[in-house]
Amino acid sequence: MSYFEEESYTDTSFDFAVWKKIFRYMKPLKKYFLIGFIAVVGLAILDVAYPLINRFAIDHIIEANSFRLLPVFIGMFVIYVILISILVFTFIYNAGKIQVELAFSIRKDAFTKLQELPFVYYDRTPVGWIMARMTSDSRNLSDILSWGLIDLSWGLLMMIGISIVMLIINFKLAVITLSILPVLVYVSIYFRKRILKAFRNIRKQNSKITGAFNEGITGAKTTKTLVLEESNYRDFDRLTHTMKDHSIRAAVFAGLYFPTILFIASIATAFVFYFGGLEANTNDLFTVGMLYVFVSYVGQFFEPVMMLATILARFQQAQASAERVMSLIEQEVDITDRQEVIEKYGTFHSPKKDNWEPLQGDVEFRDVSFKYKKGEQVLKNFNLKVHRGQSVALVGHTGAGKSTIVNLICRFYEPTGGEILVDGLPMNDRSVGWLHDKLGYVLQSPHLFSGTIMENIRYGRLDATDEAVVAAAKMVEADAFIKTFEHGYQTEVGEGGARLSVGQKQLISFARALIANPRILILDEATSSVDTQTEKVIQHAIETVMEGRTTFVIAHRLSTIVNADKILVLEHGKIMEEGTHEALIKKRGLYYKLYTNQFQ
Amino acid sequence: MKRYKQFSKWMKGHLYLYLFAVGVLFTLQYFRTLTPLFIQHIVDAIFKGEPSALPQFIQRLIEGDTIRQSLLLVAIFSIAFTFIRVIFIFVHRVLTSVFAERVAYNMRNTIYNKLQNLSFSYHSKAETGDLIQRSTTDVDTFRMFISEQLIEVMRLIFLISFAVYQMSRMHVQLTLITLITAPIVFSSAFIYFIYVKKIFKRVEEAEATMTTTLQENVTGIRVVKAFANEHFEMDKFDKTSKVFRNESFTLLKLMAVFWSATDFIIFIQYALTASFGVYFTLTGGMGAGEFIAFLAFVGMIVWPLRQLGRIIGDFGKTTVALDRIDEIINQPSEHEGDASKTPDIQGAVAFNNVSFQFDDDDKPLLKNVSFTVDKGETIAIVGKTGSGKSTLINLMVRLLENQSGSITFDGVDIKDINKKHLRKQVGIILQEPFLYSRSIFANIGIMDQEADRDKIFKAASIARVHDDIVGFEAGYDTLVGERGVTLSGGQKQRVAIARMLLDNKPVLIFDDSLSAVDTETDIQIRRALSSYWKNTTVFIITHRIVTAKEADKIIVLDEGEIVEAGNHESLLASDGLYAELWDIQSSIAYDFQKRHKKGGN
Repeated sequence: MSYFEEESYTDTSFDFAVWKKIFRYMKPLKKYFLIGFIAVVGLAILDVAYPLINRFAIDHIIEANSFRLLPVFIGMFVIYVILISILVFTFIYNAGKIQVELAFSIRKDAFTKLQELPFVYYDRTPVGWIMARMTSDSRNLSDILSWGLIDLSWGLLMMIGISIVMLIINFKLAVITLSILPVLVYVSIYFRKRILKAFRNIRKQNSKITGAFNEGITGAKTTKTLVLEESNYRDFDRLTHTMKDHSIRAAVFAGLYFPTILFIASIATAFVFYFGGLEANTNDLFTVGMLYVFVSYVGQFFEPVMMLATILARFQQAQASAERVMSLIEQEVDITDRQEVIEKYGTFHSPKKDNWEPLQGDVEFRDVSFKYKKGEQVLKNFNLKVHRGQSVALVGHTGAGKSTIVNLICRFYEPTGGEILVDGLPMNDRSVGWLHDKLGYVLQSPHLFSGTIMENIRYGRLDATDEAVVAAAKMVEADAFIKTFEHGYQTEVGEGGARLSVGQKQLISFARALIANPRILILDEATSSVDTQTEKVIQHAIETVMEGRTTFVIAHRLSTIVNADKILVLEHGKIMEEGTHEALIKKRGLYYKLYTNQFQ
Repeated sequence: MKRYKQFSKWMKGHLYLYLFAVGVLFTLQYFRTLTPLFIQHIVDAIFKGEPSALPQFIQRLIEGDTIRQSLLLVAIFSIAFTFIRVIFIFVHRVLTSVFAERVAYNMRNTIYNKLQNLSFSYHSKAETGDLIQRSTTDVDTFRMFISEQLIEVMRLIFLISFAVYQMSRMHVQLTLITLITAPIVFSSAFIYFIYVKKIFKRVEEAEATMTTTLQENVTGIRVVKAFANEHFEMDKFDKTSKVFRNESFTLLKLMAVFWSATDFIIFIQYALTASFGVYFTLTGGMGAGEFIAFLAFVGMIVWPLRQLGRIIGDFGKTTVALDRIDEIINQPSEHEGDASKTPDIQGAVAFNNVSFQFDDDDKPLLKNVSFTVDKGETIAIVGKTGSGKSTLINLMVRLLENQSGSITFDGVDIKDINKKHLRKQVGIILQEPFLYSRSIFANIGIMDQEADRDKIFKAASIARVHDDIVGFEAGYDTLVGERGVTLSGGQKQRVAIARMLLDNKPVLIFDDSLSAVDTETDIQIRRALSSYWKNTTVFIITHRIVTAKEADKIIVLDEGEIVEAGNHESLLASDGLYAELWDIQSSIAYDFQKRHKKGGN
């Protein structure tokens, strides 16, 4: 599990290589970066210029006691107002554009990779991990690379601009005032890091509380029947109590940040009051207007300093996000086709379907061995020959190797030894895409997609007509219940098919497999508890779907097993018994025992 | 008034903290508006001997003999003054957060407690995601409201008021001019943020659609791959991702318009105040220092006004959140006014003419059900889905109530028995048992916290789950639930049985609790259990006839009525629904046995 721990990625050092990869995504957005940057330069200049415009009024109009230059002052102000509105618009527009486009292209690449990745990847990667990469990480990254980068440039430019103008106006006073700056920056960074850490702790605690609520709600019936209310409440109280303490501690610490900065800055202001005041009083070249400019600048320094610390901290987080997102996008595809296979059958992105020959359905395992990456040997020298149109029932306890055999036939995994032949040719002489195109897969805890029933059945063959969909539904006797819905085939099934019963979902998934008309069908039966009537309908559906195809069934239903052309009784990856139901019963071996237990 | 009550209910006992925090905030904003007056004091009073706008008591403190001394005093005083301000700011923050966190703590615990005590029928109708949202996000919305938004609104109002006060002390006409655009700034922000809420919602919806598409793809990747629909999925995701991108950008464009347009108005205000300020300084009545101070005060009016409009425009969320929380809190607890009898239950159970029907349903789920069970007997209840089996069980432990007729334990009506006491005496093993997110060891030991390893191992062995557990990498320390590994349905059911073995209950109910276990193990477990629970009254709910076969009594339910009762042999002989179910479930077996015999001959 440690591979997926979020924290393990938060390394503090700057990782150039990762940012270089991210840079690829920024390249097509050059134009927006450029315009955004120009706007930001303009804004920084305007921010620096603002006190200077007022200084003009103070020194050349008020102190000179003459209205002569008032129109110039008003003119400058009008230009200022127009410029700032235009630049603010340009800056937000471009930063926004960068943000959404960046997030979009990262999501797109990651999603494409997800479709390409073999099944193994999903076995060892939690869904939550993938979701987080696609949502919060890509958002983090695009935020920091748009707003963060632009804010960073604005802050730096403004600070540089202010420093330069100060130094030009009065070098000595500028040096005195700016001497506070390093302290300000240091304190800011010191606080930011710790505040971030404190809040990360709170978020962790918060997700524990959410988990506890989830448990309290989904486990309500169990809690009631076991009368665990008090003990649960005590546990929960411990969580919320810790949360309260952590939050207050973090707030106290964070509450010190701004006051500290404010206080340090007030020292700079006091310097200006005293040294600047003296200067203004004694030096004719240092005007009241200049004193005003200095006081204003000290105030304007706060925001960028505090902001820079925040952005730097966020860049660190964003680096972690970047590492995680890139680790997904650059994930190696374990199962790849050979060069000559690609030439004939095409790639994942551009398959050459014209070259795809039909599949007949003969499957042969020749001395196949298989071992999961970090697990034990599941199959060893496994041999099996299945002719087209035959049905094979795989029977055995959990862990006997049933799922492995199925996964190998689907080429979700590659054997670690031996080979699998399809229609007499080694499986990897054809592309993965070719195989999957001719394969059907029915899970009995079926997965449906949001959308209508029509769309869900059509998922089996995307170009199927409405009539074909209805015909398929009729064949598995799903048409009857679909018609009872107000919207019939246009009924929305809800997220994951939530609005349908388990039995209904199963029938739809049979119709979906039927319309795909695969030559090889994989059927993964579950020990499901549907009532006897539904069971009958499903049994009929199974028979319909299996008709005339090579079928592999991970079987739990007696009826499916009994009707199979071949039963394989598996234990520890080995075929213990093989044959038809009658033959195996006669044998009075393992199968006989399993079978008779059912009706004792 | 209703709103006020809704608010204050959560703050009870801590409100004094809040009032204190607001008091500190008030003083702070006054302090803040003094800061521009220091430069005014230097420029007007120290340099030119004109009147200072600083309050008298401060002026007295910083009176110097020479200009140098006066400047030094101003500088030192401004540091000391900031020091006091800083302490006030800190105190204010701490007070506010202590207050807000205590309120949030109070809310979370109240909601959690309520959720646990809500009736079973409430839970079976409620949506988990929605309840969690109310318990977390809505609580947070309120916490943020009292600790940030409401405080911010007060801060801004105090600041604007003091700024107006300070300005009017210097120059009334210029003060009025400085307020010219105020209504426009405030109302444009207010209206805009009410309007933009709709767009926000659209963005959120677009994101939710995209996330759903993604989630369904990842969880259903087997199906995607098996039908080779990767490209179809990519197009589908691309579409939703594009919609999200476009909606987000629409919002950002609106933001760009808003911020630049309001910046325009705000700087127009700056220009007006500055121009008239220059005019008033030249025509008399105003010093250069006052002009500088005014330039600072404009900023204390216009920016806060925009912020104020924005926050108030965004207010609605909190009342919605509170309403949603109240919907939970105002539900009656199932333990309110519960009976107080706590008799020692021996195990004789009787149903007398029990009927049940949900209020909003037109069909009864149970109709005149009567039967008796003696202490130590095993009774099986068989029926199709929807025949009323679960309803019957739920009534027995008062998860559902208000039936007509009566259910008695040892002659005592369950309506007179305390619910929690009743549930402690009657154990139920559910078809879909819930395991808590802690170790397997702790899950089994949950009913008996003092149980030692031997006891737990023994329970797990009887439930035939010990070998499975030992097979896990972390063995009994394996975490389950939310944060841990997912156990299969059958493993969960067996852990639930082991859990029940640690407690001696006079009555036990198996609510289809071996449905996900294969038949062989099912038989083994039932054998082991029947010797373990000799004196226990056992109810077995099932649709597997083989499981019901061995019970002392079998009841067949159909559409809420007992259609048959007896034992296996008598029921088969009577050739009713039981016999029919038996036929369906074993037809293939019989069928085959016939064939097999023929073949054998």
